[in-house]
Amino acid sequence: MTHRLFPWLVPLSLLIAWQAAGEFGWLSNRIMPAPSAVLRAGFRLAESGELARHLGISFQRAASGFVIGGGLGLILGILTGASRIAESLIDSTMQMLRTMPHLALIPLVILWLGIGEAAKVFLVALGVLFPVYLNTHHGVRNVDPGLIEMSRVHGLGRWGLFRRVLLPGALPSILVGVRFGLGVMWLTLIVAETIAAASGIGYLAMNAREFLQTDVVVLSILLYALLGKLADTIARWLEHVLLPWHPAHARSLSSSKPGEIP
Amino acid sequence: MNLGVDVEVTGLCRRFGGKVILDQLNLSCRAGEFVAIVGRSGSGKSTFLRLLAGLDRPDDGDVRVEGKVLTGLCPSSRMMFQDSRLLPWLRVGDNAGLGLPKSERKRSLELLGQVGLADRVTDWPAILSGGQKQRVALARSLAAAPRLLLLDEPLGSLDALTRLEMQQLIETLVKESGATTILITHDVEEAVALADRVILLAKGRLAHEWEIDLPRPRDRSGQGYVNLTRQILGKVLVE
Repeated sequence: MTHRLFPWLVPLSLLIAWQAAGEFGWLSNRIMPAPSAVLRAGFRLAESGELARHLGISFQRAASGFVIGGGLGLILGILTGASRIAESLIDSTMQMLRTMPHLALIPLVILWLGIGEAAKVFLVALGVLFPVYLNTHHGVRNVDPGLIEMSRVHGLGRWGLFRRVLLPGALPSILVGVRFGLGVMWLTLIVAETIAAASGIGYLAMNAREFLQTDVVVLSILLYALLGKLADTIARWLEHVLLPWHPAHARSLSSSKPGEIP
Repeated sequence: MNLGVDVEVTGLCRRFGGKVILDQLNLSCRAGEFVAIVGRSGSGKSTFLRLLAGLDRPDDGDVRVEGKVLTGLCPSSRMMFQDSRLLPWLRVGDNAGLGLPKSERKRSLELLGQVGLADRVTDWPAILSGGQKQRVALARSLAAAPRLLLLDEPLGSLDALTRLEMQQLIETLVKESGATTILITHDVEEAVALADRVILLAKGRLAHEWEIDLPRPRDRSGQGYVNLTRQILGKVLVE
């Protein structure tokens, strides 16, 4: 077995090489500032309060867009998954809309909503809607019919069937949709903020570009990466918390005696 | 102790596409009777049980439970399937109490104790063995105090030893519950060991029936048991 720190060897040496290249002047500060310079830029912006402000605004856009798009996707997905009528009414429309890249709508959205908050929230919501919808629909539709039949025989009504069988059965798939949605959420926000915004991390980067502040540009990119990683961690934590029964997500199936896990 | 219902089936027909699965089937079960249905695969056994549960509708004829024609799911019946069909996201105790109001949950825990799983109440179904899962399913079926119990080859996928244990459990618990019970099985020995009456279904019709009046618990090496088993098996193979 390899040491626990072994996987960190490559990124660490890359980081050291990057710093060294900056120190010895092999890499112009214009093109690629050293990690220490990026860190310093981060501290500077944090001190002035700018960093928190832009981060806060970006987070707000991401969150509200995600809640609106994800919520709508969840509701529509459950509806079309559980009801044949809703499926034939809505699903083919959703499948058609889905093929349209939502980022292609940016010019139209700017015309409709300007470059204010609404435009960005709308784009994020639109981007998140489809992955959440598709996976929810798929999840509800693929709940084992045998389990549904069994539950009906055991006297579960419509609500009981939904709460005890359909929803928990679809949850693994819904969470896959949430994870996809989170990825789309950041990507959309980056594009939207880079093209037209007066605040947010994307704006921070574009503004810094005007003044050739490469360190701030790199900082913004790293911030996006960090936020993306954070969202992914939250999604994984959600899976762990919400799917304790699922062999793939539960670290150990609790209260089992040793040696009994098949 | 609750009493079983009497079940009256008259002229029951079921076709899928052009294929006749059940053909004018007539059968009546006394309240509390344990009936086993044997027959080759494709003889319509499972279709018949689904009609009794109200999971499927007959093309012709009707099922009467306590004199009333069945039009939807039969509320006084519970069914046990070949696969345990436990909900993987509910712990064993909650699975056993599925569909029960809070006030009656105690019964499901008692039954889990009776099937020997009292210490597994908080486990997830995923870590149970096949036999244990089927015992939970048995407890779940009986917890609602059904008056009609439908068993669709519940022991079909278990190994021989686990099967014998389950047969004993079913015999004691079902007799205790007093429910009218209909068991579908491939296993003629199982049918003779458990049932008051064995029915042979062939080509969607009732081909033969045998009253089993051997004393319980049945001695599987006894002459009466062996003879009956051999006789029924012979008929199954001919039909």
